[in-house]
Amino acid sequence: MKFEQGCCKRCGQPFLSPKTLRIVLKRAKEQGQEKYFGDFELCQKCRAHVFAERLIGNRLEKVERFQHIAKRRREKLRTVQRDTRLGSTVYKSECFTCNQGCDALVHVKDGKVIRVEGDPSSAVTQGTLCCKGLASKELLYHPDRLVHPLKRVGKRGQGKWQRISWDEALDTITDRFHEIEKEHGENSIVVATGTNRGWVRYINRFANAYGKQWMGPGIAQCFYPRMTGEILVLGSSAIENPQYDHTQCMLVWGVNPTNTWPVKALGMMEARSRGAKMIVVDPVFSEAASKADMWLQIRPGTDAALALGMLHVIIEEELYNKEFVDKWCFGFKDLMSRVERYNTSKVEEITWVPGSKIRESAVMYATTKPASITQCLSIDQNADTISTSRAIAMLAAITGNIDVPGGNLMGMPLKEQPRSIEMLRGYLTKEQNEKRLGSREYPLLAGEACVLQPSAHNHAVWQAILTSKPYPVRAIYCQGSNMIAGYANTRMVIDALRSLDFFVVADFFMTETAKVADIVLPVATWMERSSVTRSDQTSINNFHLQQKITQIGECWSDFKILNELAKKLGFAERMFPTDEAYFDFLLEPSGMTFEELKKVGVISVPYSFKKYEARGFNTPSRKIQLYDARLKDLGFDPLPNYREPTESPVSAPELAKEYPLIITTGGRVPVFRHSELRNISILREIVSELLVSINPTTANKLGIYDGDPVIVESPRGSMEAKACLTEGIDPRVVQVPSHWGGKNNVNRIMDNESCAPIIGSIQHRCQLCRVRKNG
Amino acid sequence: MQSAKERIEVMSDKVLFIDLDNCVRCHACEIACRQEHDLTFDTKSRWCQVMAIEPRWAENELHMDFVPTMCFQCDDPICAYFCPVDAISRSEDGIVVVDEDTCIGCKLCIHGCPYGVMFYNEVKGVAGKCDLCTSRIQHGLEPACVQHCIGGALQFVTREELTVLTAQKHTVSVGTVSYASSKWKLTELF
Repeated sequence: MKFEQGCCKRCGQPFLSPKTLRIVLKRAKEQGQEKYFGDFELCQKCRAHVFAERLIGNRLEKVERFQHIAKRRREKLRTVQRDTRLGSTVYKSECFTCNQGCDALVHVKDGKVIRVEGDPSSAVTQGTLCCKGLASKELLYHPDRLVHPLKRVGKRGQGKWQRISWDEALDTITDRFHEIEKEHGENSIVVATGTNRGWVRYINRFANAYGKQWMGPGIAQCFYPRMTGEILVLGSSAIENPQYDHTQCMLVWGVNPTNTWPVKALGMMEARSRGAKMIVVDPVFSEAASKADMWLQIRPGTDAALALGMLHVIIEEELYNKEFVDKWCFGFKDLMSRVERYNTSKVEEITWVPGSKIRESAVMYATTKPASITQCLSIDQNADTISTSRAIAMLAAITGNIDVPGGNLMGMPLKEQPRSIEMLRGYLTKEQNEKRLGSREYPLLAGEACVLQPSAHNHAVWQAILTSKPYPVRAIYCQGSNMIAGYANTRMVIDALRSLDFFVVADFFMTETAKVADIVLPVATWMERSSVTRSDQTSINNFHLQQKITQIGECWSDFKILNELAKKLGFAERMFPTDEAYFDFLLEPSGMTFEELKKVGVISVPYSFKKYEARGFNTPSRKIQLYDARLKDLGFDPLPNYREPTESPVSAPELAKEYPLIITTGGRVPVFRHSELRNISILREIVSELLVSINPTTANKLGIYDGDPVIVESPRGSMEAKACLTEGIDPRVVQVPSHWGGKNNVNRIMDNESCAPIIGSIQHRCQLCRVRKNG
Repeated sequence: MQSAKERIEVMSDKVLFIDLDNCVRCHACEIACRQEHDLTFDTKSRWCQVMAIEPRWAENELHMDFVPTMCFQCDDPICAYFCPVDAISRSEDGIVVVDEDTCIGCKLCIHGCPYGVMFYNEVKGVAGKCDLCTSRIQHGLEPACVQHCIGGALQFVTREELTVLTAQKHTVSVGTVSYASSKWKLTELF
């Protein structure tokens, strides 16, 4: 026992004075508590850690999982109530710290928000709320919040700002937009959006009503590819909506819901507690993978091959639902001959997943009924995202797990539900549609063939700004997006944004992107605005009330900013006069006004299953399209196929000599939402720095130890991070979480030129890099 | 409102059950706890924390585990031995309580807690730790961490329920907290 040291024996951090330690030891001895002596030499954090290690130990003795779902307290729904314990008034609202929309209760006392909690009346969230939502109060009252409009007074990016009124801000935007339009043509202004917080459709409508093209980081490489794939195959979204209530097997593909999709994690963990099987596809041993019955450690970017390999097994072993396939699937024979080339040994070679595991998981998924698929972002970021999402959708299709309890549910019919708004695409001329940036290369993203709302391709927009080809883009209106953190090839993005004539950013904080703007507008958080919310990503049959609770500075809701801007720009009649008028319009089919919803709180529609039986699937053949002639017309493969990533050891062996590691970016941590929340100190404390996950074998060869600062390089440039040595990743792969700023921004080294065909997804999950020690 | 007698019954009846099979390291418990007890960043107090045991191999399988930690309300709390002013005591409902008015902020209890679950509140200048959300329980609610637990790992249950829940699992109980796992043979602490 060394008395003189004041450092933790485990981590080496100084933690207490030798004198204190002496007193502690003496007292413990007096009380006969010598057994704790070893622990007293550890700092607080290490004590808790050592406790955890000691508790779990290393004796693996598996017993059958006892099937039990945790009971949760349920309460009656009240949109406003008194809380006697805290002396507060409690408002029901909807948390939009991320894009999901979870039921939340907000406690207000003396005009201040004192608590944000989960809502125990909710059938969806059952009273839970994730760490991000629970920290909403910190976001609301953050001292760095933007509270009034600002205009740039120094040079661009210099950081000199002057407070202006909303009137002046909107007038300036209007005048500058008119000037630029006059000088450079109607297509020279782009409307850019960021994450969806219940207003993405609204800003899309705004852009169409204004006659401008729109873009966003989360379009070509998030949501659009998987949604497009599903819609092509099934005529509607379904794979996005797994139903956990009755599922017996969950195929979780490229998503770690505990970090990114807590409301899904809730359903998933309940199903697991009920005894449902869980298969996780992930190159990294994620939290979800650690709970799985089977983990398929895939080579990043080869998801399509794995899905085709599983289809091969299911078809070969005749495990598909023959009756369903005969009645409802179009092109099964074509698919059958296509998957012949994806036998397990070939797929093992491509994906690195052992053939036996591919077979076992395919059999498990096909024979356990009902089975659901959960998928997300990562399948939107490889070399052929349309094939990937189509192949995954076909797994659900040929096993008959579509729109059945415990399978994947199709969207609900809109009768008696709040409606979606018209997108007003008619205000765009034919010429504008044809001239939308990227429409020729990426018809499913930017062309008329797009099955969602066509959007400009980001690389084409940067090109147009930098080179004025095919025509100049000189101004961007950007709402809710930190473009510098979010888009690949940071240098190109910064160069493009800095060379704009006029740039408007609406955000909560002075982000990296807002810093290079001309006008910055302060936006309301979810507690400062009302809305009618429905997010398919939360629940397809519930519509919730979000009510305004407080007001910070001069922050406006996203809706209000767009409404007021439309008035100034001269197309007020195409938008709505106020936020409430818009909500009333949405609610019209349900026979309710927003004021009435404020009393009810939620509109719930019962699930309906097998909706296709009435009128078939919403596709040209009214059946599930395994073979798609529409894709053939676009010059694309009508059947799903695997396409090797543009940069991989297989496709670019020469480059791989110099950059031998596969980099997969985009893995998320639970405490942040994309580029947001890193300034919330209680969250930042949990994940304080950017960690690159690297296998100890690889690190050892590179002379890198755990916690070492490292530099990650690609032909595009370099970025900095700290090494985190983990067995949970293949030695040939490294993972770097995305959306960090400055030198930690992984997008500095990501390519944005080689994109997936016809949809234009950036290959965020499968490029090449090398790692070296920093310094 | 409940009567004082009822309150004690509610308290003594229930224990915190932590099902390690279900913890997914979402950190909701940590932030819920900080909010409930007004533990701002400046207080430097993290009464509830999720500890991770990073990926490791066992029987050709990779394992990663997470352990939520908080005060166990030890039956024989060692922190109380260290307190020079007797500010720490075990209440009749089984909760180890720090009397903030008596506490002189000497930090001896913090250094004396072998589990690292006591914290010095830098704002208030006193020691603090999990009180199982006494005020919430008194009003018929469960602790904040339990309500917000996404995986259903934290559960607030009666002793009878606990017996059923832990019957088929490896279980270790400390104070009012019981950990259970269907995978690892949990180790008794001392």
